[in-house]
Amino acid sequence: MSGVGQIVVILLTIGVVMGTVLIHVAYLTLAERKVLSWMQDRMGPMEVGPRGLLQPIADGIKLLLKEDIVPSGANKIIFTLAPILSLIPALIGFAVIPWGDGKVELFGLEFRPFITDLNIGILYLLALSSVGAYGILLGGWASNSKYSLLGGLRSAAQVISYELALGMSLVGVLLMAGSLSLVKISQAQAGGFWHWYAFALPFPQIVALVLYTISAVAETNRLPFDLPEAESELVAGFFTEYSGMRFAFFFLAEYGNMILVSCIATVVFLGGWHAPFPFLDFVPGIVWFLLKVYAFLFFFIWIRGTLPRLRYDQLMTFGWKVMIPLVLANILITSIAAYFWMN
Amino acid sequence: MSLANAVNKVIFGEILKGLALTFGHLFHKPITQQYPHTKPKLPDGYRGIMSLLRYDDGTERCVGCALCEIACPSGVIKVVSAEEPDRPLNRYAKTYTFDVTRCVFCGFCVDACPVDALAMTKEFEWASENKRTLFLDKEQLLANGDRCFPVRGKKPAYLGSIEGDWYLDKVKNKHYPTHAETD
Repeated sequence: MSGVGQIVVILLTIGVVMGTVLIHVAYLTLAERKVLSWMQDRMGPMEVGPRGLLQPIADGIKLLLKEDIVPSGANKIIFTLAPILSLIPALIGFAVIPWGDGKVELFGLEFRPFITDLNIGILYLLALSSVGAYGILLGGWASNSKYSLLGGLRSAAQVISYELALGMSLVGVLLMAGSLSLVKISQAQAGGFWHWYAFALPFPQIVALVLYTISAVAETNRLPFDLPEAESELVAGFFTEYSGMRFAFFFLAEYGNMILVSCIATVVFLGGWHAPFPFLDFVPGIVWFLLKVYAFLFFFIWIRGTLPRLRYDQLMTFGWKVMIPLVLANILITSIAAYFWMN
Repeated sequence: MSLANAVNKVIFGEILKGLALTFGHLFHKPITQQYPHTKPKLPDGYRGIMSLLRYDDGTERCVGCALCEIACPSGVIKVVSAEEPDRPLNRYAKTYTFDVTRCVFCGFCVDACPVDALAMTKEFEWASENKRTLFLDKEQLLANGDRCFPVRGKKPAYLGSIEGDWYLDKVKNKHYPTHAETD
C-alpha cells in the first residue's frame, strides 16, 4: 500500500468512527431520557418526529442557535478552552478501540477495524481520561462563579480518587494478557465467554469488572456520583455559566466519555467483538461489540434511574477506603495466580 | 444473621433490589397523558369558566339581584341591575362583568344564584397573552352558556304569564293586590 493510500485509509476510518460516535452520543441522550421515563412510568420526549426520534437533532439545533454568553469577570481564554479540553479527550480516545477482526479489501485499499493499534493503548486511554478532568476543573475555575468553582473542585477530588481505582482495576487483565494493546487483549479472549477476562482462568476478573464499573460511573460524573453537577446544591456544577455551543461541548463530552468507558469495559473484560459461544461466530463481530457496549450504557442509565446521589464525604470514603484496597487485593491475587499459572 | 448481612453488603443487596424494581417499571404502562393530543376526561361538577344561562325561549335567566356579587370571595363580579322597560317588577342585569384573571373558581356564585342563572362550564383552555380578553362582559358569558349548555331549562309559567300580567296591571293602576285577592 502506498503512502497516499494509507493516509486515505486512515482518514476514512477516522471519519467513520467519529461519525458513528457522534451519532451514538446524540442518540444516547435520547435513549437516556426514554429509558429514565419508562422507569418512572412516563413516556419521555414524544413530540419531535415519530415517538420523539428526532429530539436529539432538535436539541442540537437549539444549542447551536443559542446565544453564547461569557460572564463578566471570567477568564475568556480558559473559559473558551475548557469545553474543548473536555471534548477532545473524550473523542480521541476512540482511536484505539478495536471493534472487529480481520481486514477488508476495498479498491485495493486495506481497511482494518480500528484506527490505530497502539502498543500502549490502555495507558493512552488513562492519560486521556486524566486530561478530561482538566476541562472540568478549568471550566469551573474560569467561570467566575461560586457554583462553578465548587463543582470544579469537587470534580477534581472525585476524578483523582477514582482514576486510581479505574486504572488499577485494569491491571489484573494486563497481568493475564501480557500486553497493553487493546487489539491483542481482544484477540486473546477468543473462543467462548469462559475465555473473556471477566470469567477467565487463572483468576476471573469479575470483581475487577464491578470495581471498574463503579469507578467508570464516578469518572464520567454520572449519578450516583454526579457531585460536580449536583443540581440541587450547585446550579449545574462546573458548567453553570456555560451556554450555547460550549454547553453542548460539555454535554457531548459527558456522553462521549460514557461510550468510551463502555467500550473499554467491553474490550478489556467482556471479550470485545467475540461471540459468547463458538457456534455464534457467524454473526459479525461488530454486532457483539455493539451489544455489549449497549448493555453497559443501559446499565449506566439504569443505575441513574435507581440510586440517589451520594454525599461528598461518603463518595471520598468509598473511593479511598473501599475501592482502592479492593483493587489492590485484586492485583495481588491475580499476580500470584498468574505466576503459578505460567510456571 | 451477621454473615447474611455481610454477604448482602458485599453483593450490594439493597442496590440490587432497587435495580430490580426500576427494571420492572420499564414494562409498566405509562400513566402520561399526552395533553394537547388527548384531552382529559373531566369529572361531573368540574368548575371551569363561568357562563350565564337563558331560558328555552331565549330570554336571560339573570334577574340582576347581585347575590353572586356578594357571595364572590374575590370580588370579580360586577352587576348593574335595572328594571325591564315598561315592566317595573321585572329586573334584569343591565351589565354583568366577570374578571376571570382573579376568579378562584370556587363556585359560590353558582350556589348563591336564586334563579340558577349561573353555571360553570367544563372549559379550562382560556390561557391568553392579553389580559383584556379575560374581562368577560354579559354577551361573552351568555355566549359561553349557549356554547356549553345547549339544552335550556323551561321558563316557569308565572314569568310573563297571564297571572303576571294581572299583577302588572294592578301595579300600573297603583293598586296593590290584597291578601284576599291573591287567595
